[in-house]
Amino acid sequence: MENRGTRTVVRKIVIAGVLGAIIALLGYLGTAGPGYIPVPTPAQHATTLHVPVIIGAILEGPIVGLVLGLLFGLSSWFQAGLLGVVMFQDPLVAILPRLFIGLTAWAAYAGFRKTGKYAAMALAGCLLVLCGAFVYWVLAVNVLLAVVFAIVLLALVAGFVFLALRENRELQALILSGAVGTLTNTILVLTMLVLRGYLPAEAALVAGLTNGIPETIVACIIVVAVVGAWKGIETRRAGSTV
Amino acid sequence: MSEFSAFRHITIGQYLPVGSFVHGLDPRAKIVMFTLLVATVAFANSYTASVLLLLALLGIVYLAHTPLRYALQGLRPALPWITFFAVLQLLFYRDQYGSEVCSVIWRGGFVTVTTCSLRQIGLMALRLLEFMILISLFTLTSTTTQLTHGLERLLHPLERFSFPAHELSLVFAIALRFAPTLAGELERIMKAQASRGADFGEQGRLRFIQRTRNMLPLMVPLFLSALRRAEDLTLAMEARGYTGGRGRTSFIQLRPVPSDYLALALVTIFCAAVALYNFRAIDGLVATAVGGYIKDVASLIVR
Repeated sequence: MENRGTRTVVRKIVIAGVLGAIIALLGYLGTAGPGYIPVPTPAQHATTLHVPVIIGAILEGPIVGLVLGLLFGLSSWFQAGLLGVVMFQDPLVAILPRLFIGLTAWAAYAGFRKTGKYAAMALAGCLLVLCGAFVYWVLAVNVLLAVVFAIVLLALVAGFVFLALRENRELQALILSGAVGTLTNTILVLTMLVLRGYLPAEAALVAGLTNGIPETIVACIIVVAVVGAWKGIETRRAGSTV
Repeated sequence: MSEFSAFRHITIGQYLPVGSFVHGLDPRAKIVMFTLLVATVAFANSYTASVLLLLALLGIVYLAHTPLRYALQGLRPALPWITFFAVLQLLFYRDQYGSEVCSVIWRGGFVTVTTCSLRQIGLMALRLLEFMILISLFTLTSTTTQLTHGLERLLHPLERFSFPAHELSLVFAIALRFAPTLAGELERIMKAQASRGADFGEQGRLRFIQRTRNMLPLMVPLFLSALRRAEDLTLAMEARGYTGGRGRTSFIQLRPVPSDYLALALVTIFCAAVALYNFRAIDGLVATAVGGYIKDVASLIVR
């Protein structure tokens, strides 16, 4: 099979459709299937449905990411309507934030592959400042939370710097893209929840930590495994197919 | 092996060519009616409205000559989670909108059962039933080709603003077509992994790390299988000369008939009536009556 260099519209449509089918399927199976991972919190489940969005954005670009984000939002909104979960019945909470997952994931992937070490360090500096401002805000809500967030955010930025210093851009770009996409989902959805008054800020922050971290880890693992295998498969066929 | 066969309960996406009045309706009308009914079901906030909707839907099921039991099979895998949510709502629901007066039925510790929470689970059960019937109706009476054409025709006017209506409807069509295929694929992958020693017996138990680790050998092959199919489909489409939506004509021409407009008008009026009419008064009567009965029965049991 020759290497496909051209990215045609047909390919984008088909990949969007097929990954959209995965989103619809996992959304339909709900918490009984592999679309959700259990976490020890009242919410009980963290989602993995954002992973197809990220993969689609990485493989085929921001528009496919946008469409898949829309499908993810629709699936989430529909499921909320079915189960009567009031929070996600609001399309501004279920659909609007999800549109950005694909965009940021693609931006992270495409951008990181091209940035040099110094640009990445500058970016890390800006991130540190942002995180500092955020922790300062959290201090007003709850001191313990602020400390936890400070540690977690510091670890994240350190991880980013560690990634930026390595030579193999491809793998790091995938990890970063997975993390950025997941964090977009978590941050934007929780922001909308707080803005629309469904959750108090404190609960949202805690949920962000307890749901966001497992989601990020799982997303990065799946993204790296799938995209890595796929790009490898494009040039050779080996091993079992299941 | 029963945990592997859950995916066959997916009745969504199966078309039954029975040839009823509903089958013959213009797909554009069907899409609009479906959307209206979904919106009404989602926002119905009273018992009476929900019951009315349920009756209407059952009427449409009868019109469409579709077997209801087939449609409701899809509910079975979701039942444990629905009951879980129902119990949660029953015990912990606190009215967020503040406009309802909730009389407490039973209070024990930090658990409160009010008329509002009863109403929530009643509504939730009804709503769930209605959604299942609606979705099954929709997919049982229309082929994916019809739906694609209908959606594309509906969105076509937007193409004037560079909105890729044709491409989007194609994405939906592909997604609809591949969802059952990928479901079967997921089942196959589960069996393959199990035959190699993966342990999926922890379904429902709270083994967090185990379940998360179990999920990865399912997701990755699923994605790769989906991407492979996408590759094949792309090749097939290009080999058959698909060049995009511009200037594309279709062999199937959708022509609306008076019966389509009539059905659409009826459904619109019905939905508007259900959505706008204030059922508060009737609801209040029903609620107090039922509440009275429950209290009597409960006091009989407790004594």
